[in-house]
Amino acid sequence: VSRIRRDPRAERRAAAGAGPRAPSAAPVKTVVIDDPAYLVLAAPDLDNGRLGSDDRDVIGAARLLADAGGGAVVVLAPATTATDFAGAGADRLLTVALPPGYVPEMRAAAVLAAIDWLQPRHVLFPETPTGGGDIGRRVAAQLGELPAVRIARLTADEVASRFDGGRRDRLRAPPRLLLLAGEAADPPSGARWEARPLPPLVLPALYPVIGDGGLASTDPNAVPLAEADFIVSAGNGVSDWPAFHELAAALGAAEGGSRVVCDAGMLPRERQVGTSGTLVEPRCYLAFGIAGAPQHLEGIARCECVLAVNTDLHAEMVKRADLAVIADAQAVMPALAKLARAKLGR
Amino acid sequence: MSAVDVAVLLSVGRHPASGRSRAADGDARALELALRLGRAARLHAVHAGDPGEPALAEYLGMGLSSLTVLRQPEDADVLPALAQHLAALKPALVLAGAAAERGAGSGMLPYLLAACLGAALLPAIAGLELAAGGVAALQALPRGRRRRLTAPLPCLATVDRSAPAPRQSAFARARRGRILTIDMPAVPMAPDQGRDMPARPRPRRLKLATGASAAERLRAATEMKAGRGRLLVEPAPGDAAAAILDYLIEERILTTDADLQDRKANPG
Repeated sequence: VSRIRRDPRAERRAAAGAGPRAPSAAPVKTVVIDDPAYLVLAAPDLDNGRLGSDDRDVIGAARLLADAGGGAVVVLAPATTATDFAGAGADRLLTVALPPGYVPEMRAAAVLAAIDWLQPRHVLFPETPTGGGDIGRRVAAQLGELPAVRIARLTADEVASRFDGGRRDRLRAPPRLLLLAGEAADPPSGARWEARPLPPLVLPALYPVIGDGGLASTDPNAVPLAEADFIVSAGNGVSDWPAFHELAAALGAAEGGSRVVCDAGMLPRERQVGTSGTLVEPRCYLAFGIAGAPQHLEGIARCECVLAVNTDLHAEMVKRADLAVIADAQAVMPALAKLARAKLGR
Repeated sequence: MSAVDVAVLLSVGRHPASGRSRAADGDARALELALRLGRAARLHAVHAGDPGEPALAEYLGMGLSSLTVLRQPEDADVLPALAQHLAALKPALVLAGAAAERGAGSGMLPYLLAACLGAALLPAIAGLELAAGGVAALQALPRGRRRRLTAPLPCLATVDRSAPAPRQSAFARARRGRILTIDMPAVPMAPDQGRDMPARPRPRRLKLATGASAAERLRAATEMKAGRGRLLVEPAPGDAAAAILDYLIEERILTTDADLQDRKANPG
């Protein structure tokens, strides 16, 4: 950790009471497009009513296509969504009343109604298997158009679609319907837009046939480790294995392990995390008694948050962790399992 | 309940590393789901293309007694042939992979076919069973979650990568299986627009360094990615457990009963 560097000039300014010019204090300019030359419609997934990273990229790509010729970005969103669309890059906001749950047929109908009303030059979807990738293809089948799919990158006058099993790119002028793979464009930043609400979209009468039975409860250990959402992992510092399994069950987490415990046969090989096992990307990784070999840290490089319980203050895992507890795993695991059962009511 | 007709659309894939022809992964998983339906289903495996393709034996080896091939040249649009064949067959359920592993592979064929057949379309299915008058399916969502879906028959389902792995293909079964060829008129594909180039691996997106001062931006850009680094040294086990659990609830990894009720009150 480096020493904090002094800035004598700033200190003098602060003493004089002037205060440094903070760039963050400057007001963020709001871009207003009153009379757009054309419209670009973005249909984000809005899983759980929030803009995901794919959704932000899609709005970014829409901005790119709109800004090239003085167009405006219209974002189509369910009426229940309360998100900062102005900061995300929307000039106009088109809301539509949709029932809660999984309603792909109605979402496709909403996009078709929006296309019919606004006549946008382009319509953009994120290429997600159950979200935009599905809705976009439904819309394309209805319109009888060929969309550009799996777009890896785009400019205002050319899109590159992956095809032939991901071996080749096809470059062509952007068609009307665009399905964007992840990170095809950067999310808008550095300004705010208006997100001016348009009159809400009214859907024609529709009788969807797909029924949504809600989320199924799944055994976290039945799905592959690479797909797991929350992993509790054990290393050489774990000796109380019944307590470890009990903790994983109490937290509803998938079990993982370091190479050492899988070599010793304490966990099956498919549970091994690291370069010689599985590269995992859960939202949360809770490690007990793992020192943090480079091969293991490589395996958890894409975890959003890491928690570590270890007896060694200087372990690499402790440095990597968002929350590190210097304690014996055998003492913490039963306490945590008991507390989780009490608090979560499982 | 009498057996219903189930059609499985099989295509020839390409191995991602060796480039050899193989059974396409998504289609093999679709066949596995269909085989698991057992006696409730009368299976019709359909391929549009070259009947002499050796990779078709891999499907036969999974336990098919016969495979119908609609003979089509390499550059034909297979949609009209498949639509005509399936319109005559009238299957209650059609299973297919999400997109072809060679050629354009736009993933549009299931959607266009469902429109032709007037079937409901279920995307990204990981499990399937026939219920009274319809299908009950499990849809694969990111992070290992599953959603229960129901649809009436006829229905077309595309199969997700997390569906059960296809069973092993046996050589003897592949030898026993028969390929039935039907000659179909070929409709040439619409010419491709644009130009081709080898796919370039996408550069990893860099995290932009933001900060008030130049020193802060430099530190943000050069520093190794590390945790926020809250550290508890030798706490009592109860305190450690409380700290970890509070963190998990705060980050919404775990949900308490109060959260669940809150979410039920305000869905979406």
